[in-house]
Amino acid sequence: MESQYFNFQELCTITALPSQTIIEIVDHGIIEPEGSDPESWLFNTRMVSVTRKAIRLHNDLEIEWSGIALAISLLEELEEIRHENQQLKAQLNRFIVG
Amino acid sequence: MEFKDYYKILSVAEDADSKAIKTAYRKLARKYHPDVSGHQEAEEKFKEVTEAYEVLKDPEKRAQYDEFRKYGEPSSGREDGRYRSRQFEGDSSGFSGFSDFFSSIFGGAGPSGRPQGQSYGFTSQQAFDQRGQDIETDMPIFLEDTLTDTTKTLSYQLPHREADGHTREINRTLNVKIPAGVANGERIRLKGQGGQGIGSAPNGDLYLRIRLVPHPLFDVEAHNLIITVPLAPWEAALGASIEVPTLTGKIKLTIPANSQTGQRLRIKGKGLVRKQGHGDLYAVLKVVMPDTADDQIKTQWQQLADSAAFDPRKEWRK
Repeated sequence: MESQYFNFQELCTITALPSQTIIEIVDHGIIEPEGSDPESWLFNTRMVSVTRKAIRLHNDLEIEWSGIALAISLLEELEEIRHENQQLKAQLNRFIVG
Repeated sequence: MEFKDYYKILSVAEDADSKAIKTAYRKLARKYHPDVSGHQEAEEKFKEVTEAYEVLKDPEKRAQYDEFRKYGEPSSGREDGRYRSRQFEGDSSGFSGFSDFFSSIFGGAGPSGRPQGQSYGFTSQQAFDQRGQDIETDMPIFLEDTLTDTTKTLSYQLPHREADGHTREINRTLNVKIPAGVANGERIRLKGQGGQGIGSAPNGDLYLRIRLVPHPLFDVEAHNLIITVPLAPWEAALGASIEVPTLTGKIKLTIPANSQTGQRLRIKGKGLVRKQGHGDLYAVLKVVMPDTADDQIKTQWQQLADSAAFDPRKEWRK
């Protein structure tokens, strides 16, 4: 299987973003790579997709980075809660139906 | 070709000023943005709204559109269709997938400016080296298939650039190795299996989003599985040894005497595969009543009722 991790340069390449933008996204805690400085940063595939989402929200909805950090963490929370809700509903159904 | 009423799409009056148009656009863009909205047709709606705003925010384009709307044809007689050949530049909304209707009035492929590699599935047509588009697609996986490494056949659509420069979707089939222990929502990257690179640039990548298919018997909680076990009242009262299905076969489970509905029994190591070891299977007990009772059974329940000093609602009487 292909490597599931990217270094800083690779993330810039695959997202076609300038390094400064990536640094800004990391500075805002929108993604949290392993490693302490840009040279040693490692990003996983989930971070790639979060980066893309951040850029889309930034461009499409004209949201500042700090707002994006908030929006993304709320969206993640929402997704978790929806998922949990779905699980609990499925379990509840097994209890009350049949 | 379908006529698009951009005013209607943005829900603004024909004489709305630019501020009202911007406000309407922002509101709808937030509502339908595919990253934010749970709306089924969010992506289509968002494209439509963005297209409408692209036209109405620009006084020149708006005037041209108004003329078309009124007289039913693009104003090509005027200044030799100078808008037709113009590409829109520097716009950040980033969609090149505007409608035929849009192209028929304004020409071009729409605005450019979105960094490439974004994932709505739109492509731009620049004639220089450009890394191929990354593609994201859902990969449904049965729970049983997550226990060991497994190979799945995947079909997906890929934008393909023809010799004439046009891009169309082609179907691609691929055998993909899914490692044991994948979790719901996990993404697997397949390098170079995305959109074709332009010029000497490399292909994009394919990302598989793992979706665990709901199982008829088991629910998933992280790496643990949950199975609801129906019990007869006497099994719950007296205890029992029953057979319980797992993902890999069946096991014997001892139900202790005086078990309750909702009680969880842990069956170690029979859950999903983790990076190290296995999760557990939880049997959740559910006492069920028989559908019918004949006279003899009723007599026996009555005897039980008379002899058991049990008040299930004693909490209410405190």
